Amino acid sequence: MERSFAKEIELLKLGDGDVFRGEGILAVTKALLQSGVSYVGGYQGAPVSHLIDVLVQAKELMADLGVHVQANTNEASAAAMLGASIMYPARGAVTWKSIVGTNVAADALSNLASPGVTGGAMVIAGEDYGEGASVIQERTHAFAMKCSMWMLDPRPNLPSIVNMVEKGFQLSEASNTPVILELRIRACHVFGEFDAKDNQAPRMGLNSKSDSAGFDFDRLAHPPVTFMQEKKKVEDRLPAAEKFILDNDLNEHFEGRRGDVGIILQGGLYNTVVKRLAALGLADDFGNTDIPLLVLNVTHPLVPGQIRDFCAGKKSVLVVEEGNPEYIEQQINTILRKADIQTRIAGKDVLPMAGEYTAEAVLKGLVDFFGDSEPHGVNLELLRDRAAKLENAARTGRDGAEVAVPGRPPGFCTGCPERPVFSAIKLLKEEIGDVHISTDIGCHSFAIFEPFSMGNSILGYGMSLASTAGVVPLQKKRTISVMGDGGFWHNGLQTGVLSSLFNDTDSVLVIMQNGYSSATGQQWIPSSAGSPSHSEQTSEIEKTLRSVGVKWLRTVRTYSVDVMVDTLREAMTTKEGGLKVIIADGECMLARQRRLKAENAKLLEAGRRVETPRYGVDDEICTGDHSCMRLSGCPSLTIKPSPDPLRTDPVATVIPSCVGCGLCGEVAHAAVLCPSFYRAEKVQNASALERLVHNVRRTVIRWMAGSGETHA
Amino acid sequence: MPDAGTKKPVTLLIAAMGGEGGGVLMNWIVNAAIAKGFPVQATSVPGVAQRTGATTYYIELLPEASPAGAPRPVFSLNPVPGEVDLMIATELAEAARALSSGYITSDRTTLIASTHRVFLTLEKMDMGDGRLDGKKMLASLKKNAREAILFDAMNASREAGAVINSVMLGAIAATNLLGISEDDFSDGIKAEGKAVAANLAGFEAGLRLAKSGAEPVLEEAAKRADRAVPLAGLESQAQAAFPAEAHAVLGHALRRLADYQDIGYARRYLDRLAPFRTSDPELCREVARHLAVRMTFEDIIRVAQAKTRAERYARILGETGAGPADPVKVTEYFKPGFGEVCDMLPPGLAKKVLAWAERTGRLGRTYWGMEIKTSTVSGFFRVWLLAKLRWWRPRSYRWAAEQTLIDEWLDLVDRAQGIGPDFALEVAELARLIKGYGATHQRGSRNYRRIVETLVRPALEAGSASGGDSARVAEAREAALADSEGDRLAAVLRAGNDPVAHAAE
Repeated sequence: MERSFAKEIELLKLGDGDVFRGEGILAVTKALLQSGVSYVGGYQGAPVSHLIDVLVQAKELMADLGVHVQANTNEASAAAMLGASIMYPARGAVTWKSIVGTNVAADALSNLASPGVTGGAMVIAGEDYGEGASVIQERTHAFAMKCSMWMLDPRPNLPSIVNMVEKGFQLSEASNTPVILELRIRACHVFGEFDAKDNQAPRMGLNSKSDSAGFDFDRLAHPPVTFMQEKKKVEDRLPAAEKFILDNDLNEHFEGRRGDVGIILQGGLYNTVVKRLAALGLADDFGNTDIPLLVLNVTHPLVPGQIRDFCAGKKSVLVVEEGNPEYIEQQINTILRKADIQTRIAGKDVLPMAGEYTAEAVLKGLVDFFGDSEPHGVNLELLRDRAAKLENAARTGRDGAEVAVPGRPPGFCTGCPERPVFSAIKLLKEEIGDVHISTDIGCHSFAIFEPFSMGNSILGYGMSLASTAGVVPLQKKRTISVMGDGGFWHNGLQTGVLSSLFNDTDSVLVIMQNGYSSATGQQWIPSSAGSPSHSEQTSEIEKTLRSVGVKWLRTVRTYSVDVMVDTLREAMTTKEGGLKVIIADGECMLARQRRLKAENAKLLEAGRRVETPRYGVDDEICTGDHSCMRLSGCPSLTIKPSPDPLRTDPVATVIPSCVGCGLCGEVAHAAVLCPSFYRAEKVQNASALERLVHNVRRTVIRWMAGSGETHA
Repeated sequence: MPDAGTKKPVTLLIAAMGGEGGGVLMNWIVNAAIAKGFPVQATSVPGVAQRTGATTYYIELLPEASPAGAPRPVFSLNPVPGEVDLMIATELAEAARALSSGYITSDRTTLIASTHRVFLTLEKMDMGDGRLDGKKMLASLKKNAREAILFDAMNASREAGAVINSVMLGAIAATNLLGISEDDFSDGIKAEGKAVAANLAGFEAGLRLAKSGAEPVLEEAAKRADRAVPLAGLESQAQAAFPAEAHAVLGHALRRLADYQDIGYARRYLDRLAPFRTSDPELCREVARHLAVRMTFEDIIRVAQAKTRAERYARILGETGAGPADPVKVTEYFKPGFGEVCDMLPPGLAKKVLAWAERTGRLGRTYWGMEIKTSTVSGFFRVWLLAKLRWWRPRSYRWAAEQTLIDEWLDLVDRAQGIGPDFALEVAELARLIKGYGATHQRGSRNYRRIVETLVRPALEAGSASGGDSARVAEAREAALADSEGDRLAAVLRAGNDPVAHAAE
């Protein structure tokens, strides 16, 4: 990737006595090195991309420590990485975005969890739930339960998170069980500090390799031993884990003077809950609380004894557990019922069944809980009054808004190579009418927003083509599937392309070849020009498709809208059956500009010639009908008040952020829009001859144009 | 419960768009707080590598130095509606969004917002004017914040040669709410050592503007100056004949027409407008405005005129930021089809060619795309020659067609006066639909005809008794400008023709 993480790498080198200041996910990365991991792998995705991004660039540091780092091609590949090293005392960690990544990794996770581990194995799952999330909303918790993996959900501050990484490996080893560290979006991006420790070289690693291969029939994930492994999970590993959790105080019990009630909460929700208690006057700004809290930094397994001890003698206990279904609440009820403890458990009855636990939702839940349970010594009147004041303030603010501002969703960057493809599809649709467009995960999914509003279905990463197998037989026209090169290598080749070929499905696939996994931060993919191997092994999509048997295959430069429309039309109408693939080729503009900027700065400094294009609009010619906007949506192509004294509708304008990608000119041509657009190329450090020619031209043109006076 | 500290944590929310340096702004504040020994926490939801979407950064800090080992406050990871002390928005609509989310409340929120607009795609897509009401947004922000510091930070950043984040930091320093002084912040910028001069210039600008307490003004359109063309006393004639309300428009219009064609054409304009001399002054002014725009219809000659103006190159030079010695190459995009070519032919020939092109399926299909470099002599010459074809224009097919359409429209407006000035004004306003080039122009003309035939003519034929439904004509016009597919217009017109639906309204 083009971005540099030099600053972040420096933070990873800190040792005893230093204070680490940085983001949550980088703190996790540092904690892995402090824990002596042998290897780290993962697949990019918000909010955990930086973990692998930084480590991949920290080559020297990793070599010194003897840590192997791998950018996996998908989450299954990352999860599988944990599965064979179970035979060795090696610690390993992998990361991905969850729930989606965990879904992809599911098969490997089951096969890992069944035999259990020797060295600590950790999955760092970016729990993409609630505000800012970009995937379907589900809980990773279910995977931990059904695989018997332990689930860590630390309080969202750096010391707690780092501690849970270190303790998590120990827990994993003590109970021979892989663990999942669940980090919510804001916990990954929280800026804070912790006292750093020295990095630990792994017991086994690049600098301390073994000469023998471990073998133990009992630890193969294969019958007949799988039956025994299933029993071991509950008979051996679970009790070991419970003991470790208790002995090391992984869950935290905060005392409070209102002892007849209590709250059991997920560690990740601690700040929200305590801050709301403070807002109600039941805690202070430093977390000293009147209400006893049991903070579950380990949310699976629960330790029955600990739950019983906390609840015994209390009238009511509130369980604050985000997401649906309420696994923890159900378990707590079971634990208490079996022990015949009569404490009333509240939870999803006062808190929302589904969705993020925002401060407002928690506040309401707390007020209702206290209202129902009437804790001794708590003035309910005062409590309700405080809550009402807070709600009123927020409501008054909201009611004051006179203009409803529509959403500003993410969109294609200025100059994005994917935008022209949707301009072309939109133009084609004007010709041939409606057609089912199957969209995928990646930057191209922004086409579902204005101005394209395109996409009849959207399925998981790399599965747009596979999903059309159920639509092709229902549609008169061929379907168009759109897939990124990231999705193609992630699984689109197998699930989509091969399945289509195997079944001779007659449809059209457009692959966006921009050279990176762009939406997640321009990571390299197998077909990137600069893949991590830095060798000539770069896998080419076109060659790959030919070798698996794709016959109808065209590669089109994305910005050539005319050619793209023609190619799409041909794909949609040709008599030839089977899969038709168009590779839309154009490098991610964000990555390209990052590189060009540096290159051009060097050239300019050296006095070399640099040409910089940009586009412009003649506002005297633009009539303000905005057809160009409806086919583009580029952030650099916008509107301004009309300078025409006799017109009122705003006109088009190109702002300085334009990178001169060429789409404005192409669209004006392809859609026969209007002659307002022009391209202007600035030439810096032009040669003497070029300047002379230019000056002669200007002199002649000036003479032809005459004077241009205006009436004041 | 032990004693809490004397100070309460301060909450600060930044609403920005991808690529504006919101993360850097957050870091400046966090680093300044750390330098002071204040406990601080910051979070964000950057999500995907978005470069255009709205995003937020949230900071909590305790404005009090905390000794090592002292208990740290528990900070919230999310902003809470009604509990934001300092709200920063780098754009006006984002500030309005923060207000509707409850992050701006009169009991505690100090708001710092830039008043410039970055338009949403939805606003840009509208075929007419889809912009949100800036004045309303500004007024509601002023009314609902405890204190509102509003100024055009984008403009300030441009003038300072800085990124907008440094201007916002200056304004934050000016509020003195964080317990961090101006010098602390500027020291932080210096210590960071990145683009120090630019960042300090932006910081100073923000500081000054925030302290000035000046009333915010929204960006107004800078109107283009008219061309200097001799009018041979035409303007004073016009002023004597028409109501004062129309004088400004007439001044622009006469120069526009004389520049577009000649003084005779300007005279014809006044003749055409004559019937409205004694009309309602507002109607007279609006007819005058639309008539001038319609009479200077966009043909290839007008485009060539605009592309070969003497002052154009200097403007483009400015846009590119080229130095005086840097050559700038300019390329134009033209794509005429049979329609555009026939526009310029004599009417008789044009009709024959058009009929043939339509018969053979070439009309609206065959185009000649050309990219002309007007920074070269030969390229400029070709466009310049077109501009010189002005003398031929009145003999062209397009001219004849437009004059007929203009007279028809004027006649409709005139007759609509019989129903009432409101109705006539709406009929006049329908001229707004006819704009653009090629398919856009055709669609606009088609929509205009549909509204005229469905709503205007029936009203005129029924006479003043029918009352003429101005609101319906206005609704149809807005609908025609709402979507290019014509779905909304179709719905409005259908309702108009359907007596049941009409009665139900």
